[in-house]
Amino acid sequence: MDESNASNQIAGDFLAVLKRQRVISDVPSVTAARPDFTETVATTILGFKFAGGVLVAGDRRATAGNVVMYDRADKVLDIDRHSVMAIAGSPATAWEMARILEHSFKFYRRSQLQEMSVEGKVRALSKLLRDNLGMVIQGVGVVVPLFATYEKKSSDPAKLFFYDAMGAQFEATDFASSGSGAAAVRSVLYYEQSWGAKPLRERSKEASILLALKALDTAAEADTATGGIDRHGKIFPIIKIVSESGIETVGDDTLSKLFQAHVA
Amino acid sequence: MIDEPYRWVEAISNRREYIENELAPGSPTIGISFPDGILLLTFGRDRKKIFEIYDRIAMGAIGHPGDIERLRMTALELASTEGFTRSVDDVSLRRMATYTFSPALKQAFEQIYGAPYLARILFAEMGDTQEGDLFVRLDYDGAMHANSMSVGKRQENFGAIAGTRRGLESVERVLRGAKITNLRTALEAAIRAWGAGLSAASEDAPEAPEENALKEFLKSRLADYTVEAALLDRAAAGSRAAFIDVPEADLEAVLAKFR
Repeated sequence: MDESNASNQIAGDFLAVLKRQRVISDVPSVTAARPDFTETVATTILGFKFAGGVLVAGDRRATAGNVVMYDRADKVLDIDRHSVMAIAGSPATAWEMARILEHSFKFYRRSQLQEMSVEGKVRALSKLLRDNLGMVIQGVGVVVPLFATYEKKSSDPAKLFFYDAMGAQFEATDFASSGSGAAAVRSVLYYEQSWGAKPLRERSKEASILLALKALDTAAEADTATGGIDRHGKIFPIIKIVSESGIETVGDDTLSKLFQAHVA
Repeated sequence: MIDEPYRWVEAISNRREYIENELAPGSPTIGISFPDGILLLTFGRDRKKIFEIYDRIAMGAIGHPGDIERLRMTALELASTEGFTRSVDDVSLRRMATYTFSPALKQAFEQIYGAPYLARILFAEMGDTQEGDLFVRLDYDGAMHANSMSVGKRQENFGAIAGTRRGLESVERVLRGAKITNLRTALEAAIRAWGAGLSAASEDAPEAPEENALKEFLKSRLADYTVEAALLDRAAAGSRAAFIDVPEADLEAVLAKFR
């Protein structure tokens, strides 16, 4: 019962608490070759800034090799009132990272009686990716996420970051994508940004949702690992909007209407 | 000393007297459960005394800031670790208080070569409905009092801590008589109860102050103290953390009646 702020090396670090209590452990350094099993991976995610904030979207498919594991995977996850993380790669690792992040931010706010800075949050995810490097080198548990948040006091408040598997963080000016369908999505977003009717940042919410649906549908066209939009099962991508008022998850009925009217 | 039972008992009773004296001037913290959530209120001068522990759990305390901080961090780590490893729904105040806090406080109190916790804490946990709201008061010796944990006991819609026994009784008397339906009536009852509790703390003050005397007392104290009020908001509980500051407008509207 004597664990106080003072005895922590870094005050408010939930990861350190988990490690001290042996709830999670560091990745063992096994030098074996890649184990002979096929890992489940989640695929295409994207994010871009528009007039109302940042939009983050992901298809719903998780695959293991050529098997569709799950067609209702949620790859865009709320982390706190103004932050979402989108995941591409191993869901086993990614969902765990999301849970650690969510608890870390809450723990920091509760213990230190202030919000963690945006830079601190972005770095926290970077550290988790870095800690996962041992797994990545063994060929499993690779995660390449996007992180979107809203920083009220900033002159450019909508923030979007993307990472590599080692934890390098990059701030996106306008858009970012990750996962197996990322190349297609990136091309669509680049095209729209450069030669579309309007730059992405000037687009309305509806136009932005529509663009996200089209981009994911384009990715699914050539990439079997991307679920796109399931016309029969009525499975729509997860689309979330991060703005000053918080996080809004766009409902399936809205997506369905827009899809029927403009995409199908 | 441990080999001599009489000296051990004497040491414990000295220690109890010392702690009670230290806690006596403490400003009461009041918790009130009402349909929209739980209100926690106290008045302080220099430091924060109401804290968020977990999505539905909050804590108020009287005592030494260093000890309060240790207890707060224990609660935070315990709840966060449980919520992370199992689920948010598995974090339970009843378990936390009974299995961790009570034994640890008792042990620290009775090990007379070590330092006891100089603190008295009030935990509040919000349920899905008002019937599920729980208040637990924990003393420095591990003694525990809950507003509703055993079957058949009449549920009280409040929980409180005060510096002295007299102060607490005075607080409870006001709260039992109060009619509380919403945030503003809860705020008003809490402020009155706080005034009654603090004024009754000294032995020569009446146990239940006259209406006018209470108003005078509150008026004079409001100049020196700043109010601290937090809300566990039932409407927000479905999504994530329910702990928010009481809206300034509500607080000012009610405080104005006492100024």
